[in-house]
Amino acid sequence: MSAAPRPGAPEDAILGVAPRLAIEPATLEEAAEAMRALAADRLAVAFLGGGTDLGLGTPPARLDAALRTRRLARVREHAPSDQIVAVEAGMTLGALQRHLAPHGQRLALDPPLPEEATVGGIVAANAFGPRRARFGPVRDLVIGVTVVRADGTVARGGGKVVKNVAGFDLPRLLCGSLGTLGLVAEVVFRLHPLPEASATVAIPGLAPEAVRAATLAALEARLEPVAVAALPDGERFRLAVRFEGFGPGVRDQVERLLALPAAAGGREVLEGKDEAALWAGHDALVRAGDVRVKAAFLPSGLAAAAAALRPLAAALGRGALVLHPTLGIAVLSGALAEPARAAAALEAARVALRPRNGSAVLAAAPPALRALADPWGAPPPALEIMRRLKGELDPDARLAPGRFAGGL
Amino acid sequence: MDPAATSRSPLARRMATVVGDRNVVTEPEELLVYECDGLVHGRTRPDLVVLPGSTAEVVEVVRLAREAGVPLVPRGAGTGLSGGARPVPGSVVVSLARMRRILELDLENGWARVEPGVINLDVTKAVAGAGWYYAPDPSSQSVCSIGGNVAENSGGAHCLKYGFTTHHVLAARVVLSDGSVVDLGGPAADAPGYDLLAALVGSEGMLGITVEATLRLLRRPEATRTFFATFPSTDEAGAAVSGIIAAGILPAAIEMMDRLAIVAAKAATGLDWPDVGAALLMDADGTRAEVEHVSARAVEIARASGALEIRLPRDEAERQLMWKGRKCAFAAVGRISPSYLVEDGVIPRSEIARVLREIERLAGEAGLRVANVFHAGDGNLHPLVLYDARNPGEEARAVALGAEILRLCIRSGGSITGEHGVGAEKASFMAEQFSADDLETMQRVRCAFDGAALMNPGKVFPTPRLCGERPGPYRPHPAEVAGLAERW
Repeated sequence: MSAAPRPGAPEDAILGVAPRLAIEPATLEEAAEAMRALAADRLAVAFLGGGTDLGLGTPPARLDAALRTRRLARVREHAPSDQIVAVEAGMTLGALQRHLAPHGQRLALDPPLPEEATVGGIVAANAFGPRRARFGPVRDLVIGVTVVRADGTVARGGGKVVKNVAGFDLPRLLCGSLGTLGLVAEVVFRLHPLPEASATVAIPGLAPEAVRAATLAALEARLEPVAVAALPDGERFRLAVRFEGFGPGVRDQVERLLALPAAAGGREVLEGKDEAALWAGHDALVRAGDVRVKAAFLPSGLAAAAAALRPLAAALGRGALVLHPTLGIAVLSGALAEPARAAAALEAARVALRPRNGSAVLAAAPPALRALADPWGAPPPALEIMRRLKGELDPDARLAPGRFAGGL
Repeated sequence: MDPAATSRSPLARRMATVVGDRNVVTEPEELLVYECDGLVHGRTRPDLVVLPGSTAEVVEVVRLAREAGVPLVPRGAGTGLSGGARPVPGSVVVSLARMRRILELDLENGWARVEPGVINLDVTKAVAGAGWYYAPDPSSQSVCSIGGNVAENSGGAHCLKYGFTTHHVLAARVVLSDGSVVDLGGPAADAPGYDLLAALVGSEGMLGITVEATLRLLRRPEATRTFFATFPSTDEAGAAVSGIIAAGILPAAIEMMDRLAIVAAKAATGLDWPDVGAALLMDADGTRAEVEHVSARAVEIARASGALEIRLPRDEAERQLMWKGRKCAFAAVGRISPSYLVEDGVIPRSEIARVLREIERLAGEAGLRVANVFHAGDGNLHPLVLYDARNPGEEARAVALGAEILRLCIRSGGSITGEHGVGAEKASFMAEQFSADDLETMQRVRCAFDGAALMNPGKVFPTPRLCGERPGPYRPHPAEVAGLAERW
């Protein structure tokens, strides 16, 4: 039982670096065997899921082989009454949701491009969507992981029960590690019930200060939205606040939001297709263009962050800024027009965002911009431990070497 | 300097120059209290206890210990139930009890930065007036400290909806065994780099000493509805839990007690609970309209599942009393048994009824009683194995029964611990729940933080391992030898 390698193809390239070989294991055992073989020959390898977040990070310093997970695409175990699912890394989020929906369940993750994004890639890239406001980042939904280490060792962390503190938290540690600590081969997720009802209130024409004020007013009123995102509306923003749950609760929350003075003026209540279209518009917007920046800051600094990102938006063609006021995250997308101006604006934004651990990461960028700006920004403060961790799990630095923050 | 201080070891004297004489404990009678944590039946006397008062003092204490090659055992309030703060011979216990300041409150962004000795409930008290709270609520929350909560990834009754400590820690400042001070995470989201904070929370003091934690605060929900339902047996109560979850309801908490636990809670609190086979206590919280709907639906499901009686508290005082009955259940068991062991196994929620019957059978075989009071919503059992240490052999039988219950949890697809941690007590079971490769991988994480293996040795892992030590040389797989790899 083994997966034969094939010559690398252009589609296997990571940030322009094409591997000589590609391998597509169909089972965990094949993946482990492939990793052992790669280790024996000391070949550098990177992992490919649906390719939706390949723009993250620095091009690997060397890359001999790509390991694609698309044949690892099965649901290993779904226990509806326990609200957990164990799934192979290469299954797309869309396919998983279709598996779960007949049971009245979902994985409460909603990054863009669900028909392409794989669960392994979502974990590795810490991908997120608007519902993160309610359900948290990937790390809060992953309860178990099977990882194939650089040397081919198969190790599991966490388990199949939501509440579990036995051993170090490998599942969370691997979230966002971008395949530089090991191959995330299987993931166990906590599931949530599909809501009975959903509605989104859209409030147009808000400046960033007003976005923050309306969001705070809703939270102070003890409303509990599942998603809060401010989408471009001319020079201003259209604040979309989504409620999900049982019918009476959703209706009540919508009415109460509409009654808040901070949410006054030209509001719309969207349900069904209109609501879906609004959120699909959000997804399309953050994926538009060839540059994408994810900025993080304290929620109270929303307006300052928006101001700090404006010059960068202006430096991009069709630059569009989406604000997540409860998360303290903004996503800026657009088309690269003037690399030098964009790089300078990115660096200026980083300086402005730096207090309290704020950051601005290039999630996608053409080589012309990468050449002028480190996609990650300043090295992380705990880089020395990160280096040692990388050294422990990938001592020969063969897993996408150099792709991660701090040159890891 | 008092006479005791002059007879101190050189290390103790050096420590005293850092933290002050009265913050070094060397007298045998004073060391007694540090021999164990909340798990009292496993004791080791430390050589020395130091109580640093600041991050700078912690750094110096760690450096001195490292120079002397002496292991460090961090200790919070000592309420842990897994022996996570149990000293090893020759160790220095570092108590963080003096570091109990709330350093910063930021309600604009919903967080508090606190020192590790701050008591869990005091965080909530500091922000309750403004309508906020700190969600993790272990039953010991009025005495346990944040540093210990971070080390053990402590839970509580409301984990089902709100998660554990790890969901609520935004950042930590940590002193590593080499004396360096590192900041992990931050109040802003998604800082580039590995999520080392995820590794720290729940690492049981083995990665470093947390000297500051930034905690997420939540706004108090608008409404909470509670009900108490009684059932003929745990079968019907388990069915009600499954039915409520299957209806798409996410309760804030849903707790189960069996007959013995109810008897004990009644004896301790004077609550007028009936003598029944099982009871559920459920909280729903959120917006008023949602909660009213959810609570009514859950009550219907409980009735349809065979509830004998449903009680709704008339007011907040009565609600608090119901919760008191639940939260004091461990201690209450002392009313019906001279001694007891607390287990903390987790099973898939759908297996509750079957596993409880199996526990009853195992208890019968052992000639012992087991009271069950637990977090039913997430399958986190707390079997309390009752015994009388005065009867020869009974304690050993209780320990053996506890072990069998943990094995039953592992076989059922669960875990040996849901919130108490592995500690010293359950380290040997880790090899039954995890493979050698799983554990070796976790050890590598430890090595990245504490290559000298000075931090809280003897916990979590069944077999100690030196960093840099690799378990045997790399052996190529037969397929590689056969030439598969050559083609690459």
